[in-house]
Amino acid sequence: MKWLELVQVAGATLLAAGSVVVLYSLGVRLTAIAGDIRENSPSWIRPLAYACFGLCGVAVLCGLYLIIPYFSG
Amino acid sequence: MVALVISLALFFDFTNGFHDTANAMATPIATGAIKPKTAVALAAVLNLIGAFLSTEVAKTVSGGIIREGSDGIQITPEIIFAGLMGAILWNMITWLKGLPSSSSHALFGGLIGAAIAGIGIHSVNFESLMQKVILPAIFAPLIAGAVAYLCTRLAYALTSRHDPETGDKLTQKRGGFRTGQIFTSSLVALAHGTNDAQKTMGIITLVLIAAGTQDVGSGPQFWVIAACAFAIAIGTYAGGWRIIRTMGSGLTDVKPAQGFAAETSTAAAILSSSHLGFALSTTQVASGSVIGSGLGRRGSSVRWGTAGRIAIGWLFTLPAAGIMGALTAWLVMTGVVGIVLAAGAGTAAVLYMYLHSKRSHVGHHNAVEVEEAGQAVRFRKKKAIAVGRGNTKPKGDLS
Repeated sequence: MKWLELVQVAGATLLAAGSVVVLYSLGVRLTAIAGDIRENSPSWIRPLAYACFGLCGVAVLCGLYLIIPYFSG
Repeated sequence: MVALVISLALFFDFTNGFHDTANAMATPIATGAIKPKTAVALAAVLNLIGAFLSTEVAKTVSGGIIREGSDGIQITPEIIFAGLMGAILWNMITWLKGLPSSSSHALFGGLIGAAIAGIGIHSVNFESLMQKVILPAIFAPLIAGAVAYLCTRLAYALTSRHDPETGDKLTQKRGGFRTGQIFTSSLVALAHGTNDAQKTMGIITLVLIAAGTQDVGSGPQFWVIAACAFAIAIGTYAGGWRIIRTMGSGLTDVKPAQGFAAETSTAAAILSSSHLGFALSTTQVASGSVIGSGLGRRGSSVRWGTAGRIAIGWLFTLPAAGIMGALTAWLVMTGVVGIVLAAGAGTAAVLYMYLHSKRSHVGHHNAVEVEEAGQAVRFRKKKAIAVGRGNTKPKGDLS
């Protein structure tokens, strides 16, 4: 029985989905804060939000890179 | 015979494509993140790309479930023909009914049924079947569901905004997730290409091996990969509007953040298991994720009755396609007349179902109801949604 592979699948899924969701959520959250009219949010919030979205994209590309045999051999 | 089987396999790939468009695209269409036609075109392109990415699953299909080669049973193209016929018929029936059943299980069911009827029960490698098909079929939706649950909790926890002084809820501003959904659903389409297109590649490779034109245990050839990629892409573009409508109307209370979490988990689960060669059902993983994310959001409930009906539908797919495969196998075993009869009857059945479907045409123009529903949910205030939630079908209903 290939329990180890199942555990691997579960772990990889959790790690990949978790990091993407956390990064994207942070991005959404920071964008929301930056968009608040009422408060004067610090000016670095919006770039940080974009950085989160960017990192999220990088995480996705990284995952694809690992999976595609053409790149990772 | 080999050419006939290959064209039949490509047709199966086509039905698989339009059957499963909904998996990736029903959620973003329902939340209004993306227009139906654009969604389908995007899914088609990504399926095409995905099909080229990996061949692990194809190897599982071509070398494992049915014992082939010198020590095993000699599987003939006729058996594969019968299996494919069973799978296509079941796919067409479920499409006509608008049921999101698993194309993969239809395929395996058809093949196993045909092999048992045509060769005997000893021809099926049950150990490999258990390990590579049945167990992933049980665990993959569970894994995807659990991950989707956690991700939904995370997404909501990270974006819930309260006023630091009064503790009142601020406007949550989760609209960003709608844009994110375009990307995650694209990932699901890509993942679908890597898993489902490969099943057909595996079948064609199996035919080539059975016909003796390819070495036992080798992977798919390039022209096979390309043909399958295009077949599934065209099928996806043709769009299973019927199934999109079924799923879309069941999905009206999926929120963008929830859909985002569910789709990310689906894509991650499918991609990682494709990488290890598990031939799992993309339909079932997507359903698992949607149910998981439904459990993860407070105030939304999963209708377990509906979820149970879907599960029963899944249980039926394997044996039903198997029976059709077996019947075709018996017909085919009688000789050339039988093959002609089977091919003729199959074509007639498919044509009949196609014509029957024309009578109540569901296309992108009336699947648009889904989009409108999505927008209605978007603009209505919270209370209205809460009321609507009571009436709408549950998210457990599909995807």
